[in-house]
Amino acid sequence: MELTILDRLRRLNRIIAILVGVLLLGCAAFVLADIVLRQVGSSFGGTDEISGYVMAIATSWGMAYALTELGHVRIDILRSRAAQRGRAVFDLVAMLALSGTITLIAIKGWPVLARSLANSSRANTPLETPLAMVQAPWLAGWIWFALTSWVVFTVALVLIARGKFSEADAVAGTYGELDALK
Amino acid sequence: MIGYLTFGLLGLLGLSIPVGIVLFLLGFGIDAFFSPFPLTKGLGNLVWSTSDNATLIAIPFFVLLGEVLVRSGLATRTYAALDRWVSWMPGGLVHANIATATMFSATSGSSVATAATVATVAMPQAEKLGYDPKLFSGAIAAGGTLGIMIPPSINLIVYGFLTQTSIPRLFLAGLVPGIALALGFILVTALICMARPSLGGPRRVFPLAEMLRALTELIPIILLFTIIIGSIYKGWATPTEAAAVGVAGAIAIAAMFGGVSLSMMAEAIVGTVKITSMIMLVVIGASFLNFTLASAGIGRELQDFLNGLGLSPLSFMLVIVLVYIVLGFFIETLSLMVVTIPIIVPLVVQQGYDPIWFGILMIVLIEMALITPPVGLNLYVVQGARKSGKMSEVMLGTLPYIGAMLLMVAALIAFPQIALFLPDALQ
Amino acid sequence: EDLSVVGSWSSLPLHNQFEAPFWTETLPAASNGTINVAMTTHNQMNLGVGDVFRLLGDGVYDVGMTVADYAVADAPELEGLDVPLLAMNATDARAMVDAARPMVEDIFNARFNSHVLAIAPYPPQVVFCNGEVNSLDDLAGKKVRGSGRMTTLFLEALGAEGVNVAFSEVPGALQKGVVDCAITGAGSGYSAGWWEVSTHLLPIPLGGWDSVVTAINLDKWNSLNAETQALIAGEVSAQFEDPAWDAAQGALDNDIACLTGNGTCTSGDARSMTLVAVSDADFAKAREVLVSKVLPDWAERAGADWAKRWNDSVGQVVGVAIGG
Ligand code: NA
Ligand code: NA
Repeated sequence: MELTILDRLRRLNRIIAILVGVLLLGCAAFVLADIVLRQVGSSFGGTDEISGYVMAIATSWGMAYALTELGHVRIDILRSRAAQRGRAVFDLVAMLALSGTITLIAIKGWPVLARSLANSSRANTPLETPLAMVQAPWLAGWIWFALTSWVVFTVALVLIARGKFSEADAVAGTYGELDALK
Repeated sequence: MIGYLTFGLLGLLGLSIPVGIVLFLLGFGIDAFFSPFPLTKGLGNLVWSTSDNATLIAIPFFVLLGEVLVRSGLATRTYAALDRWVSWMPGGLVHANIATATMFSATSGSSVATAATVATVAMPQAEKLGYDPKLFSGAIAAGGTLGIMIPPSINLIVYGFLTQTSIPRLFLAGLVPGIALALGFILVTALICMARPSLGGPRRVFPLAEMLRALTELIPIILLFTIIIGSIYKGWATPTEAAAVGVAGAIAIAAMFGGVSLSMMAEAIVGTVKITSMIMLVVIGASFLNFTLASAGIGRELQDFLNGLGLSPLSFMLVIVLVYIVLGFFIETLSLMVVTIPIIVPLVVQQGYDPIWFGILMIVLIEMALITPPVGLNLYVVQGARKSGKMSEVMLGTLPYIGAMLLMVAALIAFPQIALFLPDALQ
Repeated sequence: EDLSVVGSWSSLPLHNQFEAPFWTETLPAASNGTINVAMTTHNQMNLGVGDVFRLLGDGVYDVGMTVADYAVADAPELEGLDVPLLAMNATDARAMVDAARPMVEDIFNARFNSHVLAIAPYPPQVVFCNGEVNSLDDLAGKKVRGSGRMTTLFLEALGAEGVNVAFSEVPGALQKGVVDCAITGAGSGYSAGWWEVSTHLLPIPLGGWDSVVTAINLDKWNSLNAETQALIAGEVSAQFEDPAWDAAQGALDNDIACLTGNGTCTSGDARSMTLVAVSDADFAKAREVLVSKVLPDWAERAGADWAKRWNDSVGQVVGVAIGG
């Protein structure tokens, strides 16, 4: 049951990751088109402004995928020396620290969006992008990351409580730094 | 406060908490214990402004570029071609590792990506041909570090961004030291293998015809390098935009010379998203920690401490070098840069040093940090690509190359022109 | 009383000569040690420039200062504080800022939960060009690096193309022709070596004066007793704001002398850029563009109430009326 939930979560996050990747590719194409246009004396203008928004949104939405793929780099010098139960404790502590921190980021992100809404803030650029329009998807990404991390933590906790250590390791363990980077 | 940071960092990292999260937790601690002001209230704004950043979009672009090169088979063919050219030297294929790493450094902005690329294509050869695993893997780990010295370089972009120095000038300044380091690595390898031929495996001489034929295999990678660097120096693209040019170039070149498929691109982009998110969590955490440190006055504390020592500019620089070597053992390199630059660089400039030159010196120290345990990402990348053997072998294998890096540090301090003459000459 | 103070760009003279000495030495001494200040700057904290006043309003620190133009995302009406080309010298610029002061106070109360203590000038934002430029008309068709919405819109109204280039990349961009001209403070351009890669200098504030607002969190301000408030207000005005304005014209003359060799340069070697004299006819035309296009656009962004207030205050001082 808990593994089914996690499996669905992984597949969903992979789809999100592909969408994020397409967004990045689109941004690269946009930048490239602007470079070419500049050579013929024209320009879209504002490519760097848009690249910034793409980076913020891509980053927040990619975080949860990196988590379900055990991609966030952890130093496991001590952990790798511990026994199976000890490793489980390390993983739960790490997941709890991560879930708590990301939840705090999501909570503290709300005032950023709220103030942009309250002031109808627009970027100080000729595009006059309404900031709420880009901050809303950015914040949603962090909320999704927080939700994903609590689900991962809960699944790992349930597995460990049932003594299924190797399954828990595949959910919340480390690949070590090596696989994180491949 | 410095004590709190040191022990907090080591303690939390020891617990195997993700590195980015450790930086946030340290920031919360600084807020709670050392600052009378509610710094955590600024968390949301900090996270937004750090990630809403057109300069940092170079990171996913360079990562994607590397992914495309590996997955299209171009990396393997480049390695095989360079093997034809350098394996006659004492040390044989080890030189091909360094040469391939140098070549990829010129298209990749990241050391970890460079090491991963070379390790993936080189490792299968080591066992087949009977090389000493220590030297062979050490050369990949060390050669990979050139990725951030030879332009383009994500780390130099971050340095230029944080210190308001010109990124193209930084790129030019890194070129000569980068090539010198590569030659230094080759020299070190040859000397070791002349002293102890058993380490080097077979030297292999290829017929001239085969060598010339191999040259054509280098065309794609040279073409890509020309496109990226050319677009910057022709004034067509900014260094960040050049990363977008590189992505498009890599895909086009891979389609021409290798193979591009939809499923390959899907794997390449999800890999990119994963690595980018991993790096950005660390960058955002470091930026929040930096914010709390500045508010709590660490700059003043450090400034008072260093000024209290009453050092000459040279001894001051040696202290800085020592600090980076020690911190480099424990701290992930991008965080190390982001956390220390705003504090250290103003002090260095105040002592009369050139910020461009210091950027290059710092990159050599950061390269060293990438291959010093316990926190040395390149060591883990290379170990990850091996099928067997102990981590400690890779670490021992990098030692001679660390020696070459230390010599480079000394040379840069003695002759700053090694870094500065090229940007000065072309200004 | 402990105050945490976040200063403006740490590398610029306004911070080093005026802000830092005032907050870390003058004010604590004037209070006989009852006020303690801890000071850093927004760039040392790695803050986004648009965050400085947001975080001030949230009470993350007590006093913050940065260029007003950085905050116009949250307050488009604040663009009216610093309109290009309306003030040609420091005296006029100060008169313009003084006229705008009540508006700025209301904006900071409402948008950033803070009280304005001072408005001081950065050097006016002048134009460096690589290539011959002899009048404002010559900017038409050129690629110009500017920053901020009003400056960019003004450039576009003059027929130039606004290009966004980071400060540190400007020399390379000028040299390679990515941009033909770039706007920054004369002193910043001198110390960053822009004279190496540009030939002509238009010493007119095409980018405005980049007024730097110093503000204190409103809750903090209201928690202070009347004597402390009076002490801070009086000292800021007499020991920081006045000296900063008094030095502004001299600094500008000096910087222009350093860049062009016309006059005495006290900051280093004088360079030999061509000083372009802008004719009265040029000005009249630029003002016409400003009044017919740029200011009405702003009035639309900010709202009619603010346009009216602007006409009744700043407009009176500089002799310009929006929609009139
Ligand atoms: Na590189
Ligand atoms: Na290390």
